[in-house]
Amino acid sequence: MKSSPVHPVHLFLGLAIWAAWFVVLYGGLSVGCTIAPPDSEEQAGTWINGAIVVVASLVGGYLLWCAYRCAQASSQAKLQRDNRLGVFISKTAAAVYLVSSIASLALGVPGVLLPPCV
Amino acid sequence: MSEYAQAQNRERQQRLERVWGNLPGWGALAAVNHTTVGLRFIATGLMFFLVGGLLAMLIRTQLALPGQDIIESGLYNQLFTMHGTVMMFLFAIPVLEGLAMYLIPKMIGTRDLVFPRLSALGYFCYVFGGLIVLSSLVLEVAPDAGWFMYTPLSSATYSPGPGSDFWLLGITFVEISAISAGIELVVSILRTRAPGMSLNKMPIFCWYILAMALMIVFGFPPLILGSVLLELERAAGFVFFETAGGGDPLLWQHLFWLFGHPEVYIIFLPAAGIVSTLIPVFARHPLVGYRWIVLSIITMGFISFGLWVHHMFTVGIPHLAQAFFSVASMLVAIPTGIQIFSWLATLWQGKVVFHLPMLWIIGFLVVFVCGGLTGVMLALAPFNWQVHDTHFVVAHMHYVLVGGMLFPLVAGLYYWLPHVSGRMPSDSLGRWGFWLFFGGFNLTFLLMHLTGLLGMPRRIYTYEAGLGWDWLNLVSSVGGFIMAIGVAVIVVDIVLHFRFGKRAEQNPWGADTLEWAIPMPVNTFNFSSLPSVDTRHPMWHTPRLVESIAAGEHGLADVQALRRDIYGSDATTGKLQEVVHLPTNSWLPLMTASALAALCVSLLMKAYLLAAVFTIVALGLVLRWGWENGAHPRAAPTDHNEAGAPPLHSRTFSGPGLWGMVVGLMADGTFYASLMFGWFYLWTAAPEWTVPAHDSVTLLPMILSGLVLTVAVIAYCHLVKGLRRGFAAHLGARLWLIAALGVGHWVLLAGQLVSAPLAPTERAHDAVLVVILLYLLLHSGLAVIFTSLQAVRARLGYTAVQLPYEPVVIQPFWLYTLGVYWVSFVAFVLLSNAWSVG
Repeated sequence: MKSSPVHPVHLFLGLAIWAAWFVVLYGGLSVGCTIAPPDSEEQAGTWINGAIVVVASLVGGYLLWCAYRCAQASSQAKLQRDNRLGVFISKTAAAVYLVSSIASLALGVPGVLLPPCV
Repeated sequence: MSEYAQAQNRERQQRLERVWGNLPGWGALAAVNHTTVGLRFIATGLMFFLVGGLLAMLIRTQLALPGQDIIESGLYNQLFTMHGTVMMFLFAIPVLEGLAMYLIPKMIGTRDLVFPRLSALGYFCYVFGGLIVLSSLVLEVAPDAGWFMYTPLSSATYSPGPGSDFWLLGITFVEISAISAGIELVVSILRTRAPGMSLNKMPIFCWYILAMALMIVFGFPPLILGSVLLELERAAGFVFFETAGGGDPLLWQHLFWLFGHPEVYIIFLPAAGIVSTLIPVFARHPLVGYRWIVLSIITMGFISFGLWVHHMFTVGIPHLAQAFFSVASMLVAIPTGIQIFSWLATLWQGKVVFHLPMLWIIGFLVVFVCGGLTGVMLALAPFNWQVHDTHFVVAHMHYVLVGGMLFPLVAGLYYWLPHVSGRMPSDSLGRWGFWLFFGGFNLTFLLMHLTGLLGMPRRIYTYEAGLGWDWLNLVSSVGGFIMAIGVAVIVVDIVLHFRFGKRAEQNPWGADTLEWAIPMPVNTFNFSSLPSVDTRHPMWHTPRLVESIAAGEHGLADVQALRRDIYGSDATTGKLQEVVHLPTNSWLPLMTASALAALCVSLLMKAYLLAAVFTIVALGLVLRWGWENGAHPRAAPTDHNEAGAPPLHSRTFSGPGLWGMVVGLMADGTFYASLMFGWFYLWTAAPEWTVPAHDSVTLLPMILSGLVLTVAVIAYCHLVKGLRRGFAAHLGARLWLIAALGVGHWVLLAGQLVSAPLAPTERAHDAVLVVILLYLLLHSGLAVIFTSLQAVRARLGYTAVQLPYEPVVIQPFWLYTLGVYWVSFVAFVLLSNAWSVG
């Protein structure tokens, strides 16, 4: 997250990352099952499940960090008088990142439980 | 105000009226202003609603008793297909777009939408598309494969008649209208808000419409792609959905629901926007949790794109993939819940006044919450499997769509009626209408949940007695007719109020938003002078705005050079940036839509030569439209900015046209991404996917063509960079050179399409490659045409160093063309050749 935490791009960037993760997850599952389908006996202990859990954790963790950055920025923006727009953007962006983080991690949960290709 | 000042003010307003007014008589068809076009959308949408409702009554008549044969099975299939199609495509979306088009400029304190001719084109495309679809009913060849047109049922083998073609072509036509409205609304909201209206001061309705418009931009292209592919399969024998040639019927379902599920939210969001606007007004309290609602709107806008497979839980998708969509389906309930709690908190905090619109809002809360709860049930795959394709799903869908859209819409119609007519609707008739509709609706659909749980499938035209469904269906049908009586009462109330309604006082509901600062009934230019805004509730904080605006105390109070002027502002801060001059009344939208309608009918008649002629006519009209733009003397009849005023947008580098181009390319990019999805989907999932043993496309000419294109784009970017620095030597010659490079690239690419050994009627692989090559050729061709026109305009002096606007607008198109070329080269050509080698 290089741009200023009060930039309006942060109002949707978290969910855009979530959307990209969703596409990679669903598309990657199909491609993975086509190229290197794991043994169906392995249940949820396959390389695909492992990859899902790892990537979900990385994406969720990154988004959580972004949420923290924006929340910090909102406290700083509050100190500046007449910067209500900055406070609005950074607070909303922090919440968007938090929601995105939760949603990204939630998508990884089925990876712990279900076999990938059946 | 003295008498002299009053007379001066009247004259000033008459000048505004002359510039902004519609032409008289038939000239009204050339109207482009948002009030006229928005109201036309709403009125036409309501007419289609009555048609859709009539079809529903026929369906309920047939199902009222077991074993009936009032309507035979074939006609019944047409009726339910057309009911869904009319309600979803011809009523719900257009009427909400119309409402947004009417309200947005008024709420953000401006005089019109930013691309008025696009609004008018959208309206005519909608009307003509809708009439084409409806005409199939009259001709007794209506589509009968369900409103979702699943393949292979809708394919040529099982639907050999023209019904599916009517649907595919007519609905695609309507979708052009939706996308044009989407682009228009996004750019208008972001770039033409009143000075000072920063994002945090924007009316909450605008946030909803911004999200809806962006969802249209991203949501509709997958269905347009699906319709194009299916029509190519039906008309030209290409293979996309036929299993035998390596296609897959499930690809259609993916493309349809990639559009179809977001569409539910495209319908719900503006309706929820109405709720969020009305509740604070009738609770006499600001919306509790404005920021939370903005969060939930953004969240809903994204997550609703991750749910589409929950419509396909029974088609055999791996359990893990189903679980992703199941999780996303449950997640989307959270932002909905945030909004409901925010509305309840606002009601709790305020002192609620139960005027008629509020009654419909309460109805919405009850019905929609019930629909939302059954939605969470359906998000759970095992339950979904049990009730799939039963009347339970029909009941859920109607609770969500009627509860989530129609109830707020009627509330909104009653709320804004005085704005349009200057009169108040009848309270007693209105209440009768509400209770009849509310009672009839619940009688029809609450019981339908039970009918579904008892196993009654959807889309059956009759059933045997004694299955436990008899009384439930009878009561549902009675409820349906009560609901219809309710609709009739509302229609009578609305019609009568224009003649007999009590005169409305200014701002009759005590609202907080700017649209109520306009005289009632509404005029053509909205604001007599354009106010600055420094609060979220301008009418509560500054009630005197009504008088000060009318007296011309704010910006752009008088007409300049007979132009239709509005302010352009910064997308985030709302800081004043430029004066945007808008086009006036024009016949071009009607003519272009007529040419497109003729093209559509020619395709239906399979008169392809005629279709080619109308394509050229439509293209010519669009180019003519573009010609009278920017710095053309008819668009901006001055060659200088007014002293002390912000610059005219056609003299800047970041006018609304650039934003329109970028948003348009987002829709285009989604179309392209959907095609890529189809390519990878068929590769990984189609049971009989085959790849030719030889290379499909020769690499060297493709690389050469790409390099020529790259040089052209670099040269174009260099040219624009020069303009930004104030350097424009040999502008025309350089533009011609770039166009010539574009032609070279196009010829090389076209050569590939002609010479490549592709068999699109035999293999899905080749069919997709043909489509992608055509897509690239279309973009390169358009880039060449745009640039050539710029070269001519440079010679005429419409494009120059002090008039850099248009080349800047075209730059993203060149960059996009280059981007998709090389991505396609890797993802389609290289990958395809690698498969052949493998």
